[in-house]
Amino acid sequence: MLDRLAGRLGPAALLLPAVALLAVVFVLPLLRLLELSFSDPAGAATPYVELLHDPIYRKVFAATAWVAVAVTAITVLLGYPFALALARAPLRWRVILFACVLTPLWISVLVRTFSWMLLLETNGPVNRLLVAGGIVERPLALLFNQTGVLIGMVHVLLPYAVLPIYAALVRVDPALLRASEGLGASPARTFLRVLLPLSMPGVATGGAFVFLLSLGFFITPALLGGASSITLSMLIDGFVNERLVWPLAAAASMILLAATLAFLAMAARFVAPAAVAEVR
Amino acid sequence: MAGRVALAAFAALLAAFLVLPVLAVVPAAFSARSFIRLPPEAWSVRWWGTFFGDPSWRRALLKSVEVAVLATLVAVPLGTAAALGLARLRGIVRRLALALFVGPVVVPVIVLAVALYAVARSAGLVGTTAALVLGHAMLALPYVALNVGVSLAALDPALGRAAAGLGASSWRLFRTVTLPLILPGVVGGAVFAFVTSFDEVVLSVFLAGPSAKTLPVRIWEEIRVEYTPVVAVAATFMMALAILAAASFRLLRRRRA
Amino acid sequence: MSAVRFAGIGKSFGAFTALHPTDLDVADGEFLTLLGPSGSGKTTLLNICAGYLPPSRGRLLVGERDVTATPARRRNMGMVFQSYALFPHMDVHENVAYGLRVRRVPASEIARRVAEALRVVRLEGFARRAIRALSGGQQQRVALARALVIEPDVLLMDEPLGALDRQLRKEVQLEIRRMHLARPRTTLYVTHDQEEALVMSDRVAVMRAGSVVQVGTGRALYDRPADAFVARFLGESNLVAGTVAATDGTTATLTVPGLPHAIAGSAASGLAAGARAVALIRPETVRPEAGGLPARIVERVHLGEIVALRLVLGNGLELWCRRLAGTDPAGEGIEIGWDPASVSILPDAA
Repeated sequence: MLDRLAGRLGPAALLLPAVALLAVVFVLPLLRLLELSFSDPAGAATPYVELLHDPIYRKVFAATAWVAVAVTAITVLLGYPFALALARAPLRWRVILFACVLTPLWISVLVRTFSWMLLLETNGPVNRLLVAGGIVERPLALLFNQTGVLIGMVHVLLPYAVLPIYAALVRVDPALLRASEGLGASPARTFLRVLLPLSMPGVATGGAFVFLLSLGFFITPALLGGASSITLSMLIDGFVNERLVWPLAAAASMILLAATLAFLAMAARFVAPAAVAEVR
Repeated sequence: MAGRVALAAFAALLAAFLVLPVLAVVPAAFSARSFIRLPPEAWSVRWWGTFFGDPSWRRALLKSVEVAVLATLVAVPLGTAAALGLARLRGIVRRLALALFVGPVVVPVIVLAVALYAVARSAGLVGTTAALVLGHAMLALPYVALNVGVSLAALDPALGRAAAGLGASSWRLFRTVTLPLILPGVVGGAVFAFVTSFDEVVLSVFLAGPSAKTLPVRIWEEIRVEYTPVVAVAATFMMALAILAAASFRLLRRRRA
Repeated sequence: MSAVRFAGIGKSFGAFTALHPTDLDVADGEFLTLLGPSGSGKTTLLNICAGYLPPSRGRLLVGERDVTATPARRRNMGMVFQSYALFPHMDVHENVAYGLRVRRVPASEIARRVAEALRVVRLEGFARRAIRALSGGQQQRVALARALVIEPDVLLMDEPLGALDRQLRKEVQLEIRRMHLARPRTTLYVTHDQEEALVMSDRVAVMRAGSVVQVGTGRALYDRPADAFVARFLGESNLVAGTVAATDGTTATLTVPGLPHAIAGSAASGLAAGARAVALIRPETVRPEAGGLPARIVERVHLGEIVALRLVLGNGLELWCRRLAGTDPAGEGIEIGWDPASVSILPDAA
């Protein structure tokens, strides 16, 4: 009797506690934030109008998009040959290379970013190597600007590009490459006409992952960036913690959320949302 | 052939780029001076003494452990039950439920932090352990459900039918057949949940207030002003724990395979 | 002049020998099938010929040319893969045109030759179809067209019909045979299906454990197998074990415990008096014979136009007999015999 009841209620009863948690800690706060974004005494839409029209904020949107595009492009360009090497490496090397990709994912972004702060300092090891090697005359400004942000974010997000590209590459039937070779194609032609087009879904997935994560990235830009390279997430932080302007903070958050969801909807062909979680 | 060698060299270089920079905090943690210069001019373990001796760092470490344990205890049963429920759903309901469950992963964490901060502030919960635990449990929930889900998907559905055919009730079926077989997934999810909470920075910075600072919050605050090598000690400590967790997770996955 | 010559070609992977040193000649325009169970080395031999696998020893000649060190893309061989290996991101026309584009053939000629190749494999009108939209049989024909359109010096096929259902497989076998007869082209074909080998080939090379055991026409292999392995692999067989009583090199007699007379037959090579050997008596040659050996029918298996009978002789020896349905004897008791001319005495392959 009790059994049958549990069977009928089954899925609902099992999901209820988790759904309740998400309702209280996830859905409700987001709704509250939406409400806050329309709570400006000067008029409900005022924060949105201000954000979308003030040239200072528009510069922030542009910088956010630019960083996301640049990081995506760099990670894909570096990640593709790396994934290719991974797919072709003998088993023992593949295990080692895989560990190099996966282990950093476990280490806190905060720790990884702090490491870069130590390395990229004006008198840090990177600059000293560059000067000692005669590559530059005086230390470069690598920290608290866009260069630092790009280096740090590429480092953190590279695995998210490598893994889907690798998965796409190993899915390509090796017989196709043999067929191309047997028909007389050079290695370069086989790569350009067969392997590259067939691995493009992986490139799209990896690129979409990285772009999605870049858009809302906070820790690394906040620590490695400077006043000249403020991104949307840093702007939101400033609204809340320094200027204490809730309607603006809420509206900026909603714009970031909307941009994320809009991109996700566009990229849904390449990225199953669950796969974002799976990569970690 | 030359292409092969170039590709291998590139891969080695990039692997070094992925791994080596992370290790920079380790020598920094053994610096004898009160500022960090790499490599340190003089070595010492004095900052490790500071880390474990200073009450504010010790409190932060204990708070991190407390929050991570509690968040794991919340996320694992809820996430496991949810995975079992999700496995029985079909069609549009399943898709909606999945969308809800991946929400915390997809929504930028800064947005979640501001939203939770707004609610916690009006409820007077900023600076409480409860706020941190619930926030972290929310972030960890998708990972637990996903990990258990992977184990569940690998289960042979015929096992359930066989046990039911032998007259097992559904609770008995779960206890004697399902749970033992998905246990590696559950434990893996727990490891994931613990690390997610232990490493979490953004939500914690907003919710911790002055009274519930975790280790990452302390590191964050130090880094943003002036830092001494004790931050590198804290970072090294966190990294060591993360590598331990990664190794145990890998071990669990091998057992599952 | 042989079109393809394997001269002492062998392949080892570490301590494992996939292919013992092998000599094999394929004549110009000949359809030769490599037949053997999985792991017999037939695909290894094919991949060495295609250039996908470097041999550990020996030389490979195509015509007068030593191609042992030539990369696959310069060998001008057409390969049909077991999985077809059609490029999924190209349509039928682009797949077939691929090898021509590589060879920088002018566009107008590409169009003409692709159309011609598709006509040969009876796929006119399919040029712009996506690969996904084709049936297995159609994909197989596209793969064939893609291999043929480059006018290969040698056509290689690796179990190309394995993925087709039985009925379609039989049709395609005959189709490939007719195409070959209409325009003979040096062909190496790999299969583990003896019927396929017999239907399509000019000659068959039977392989076992990395060696070629016997090469010959299907008829020769069936009637005069070199040993018990080949006999068992091609067609149904009764193999009766005994001791060689006498042999003159072309015929031999075999004494079998419990049988009143020795079994006479033509001798395979490598037989010596007193050695252990087997007599091959094909089931279709076993027939009722008044005054022959007394036997009991213990099982009847109906195979359509044929009925297979399991017989037990006085000494407990079992023989299978195949008769046309309707001509099989009624009742249990029977007296049997066979034509000594169709019997072979073979060395007992361990």
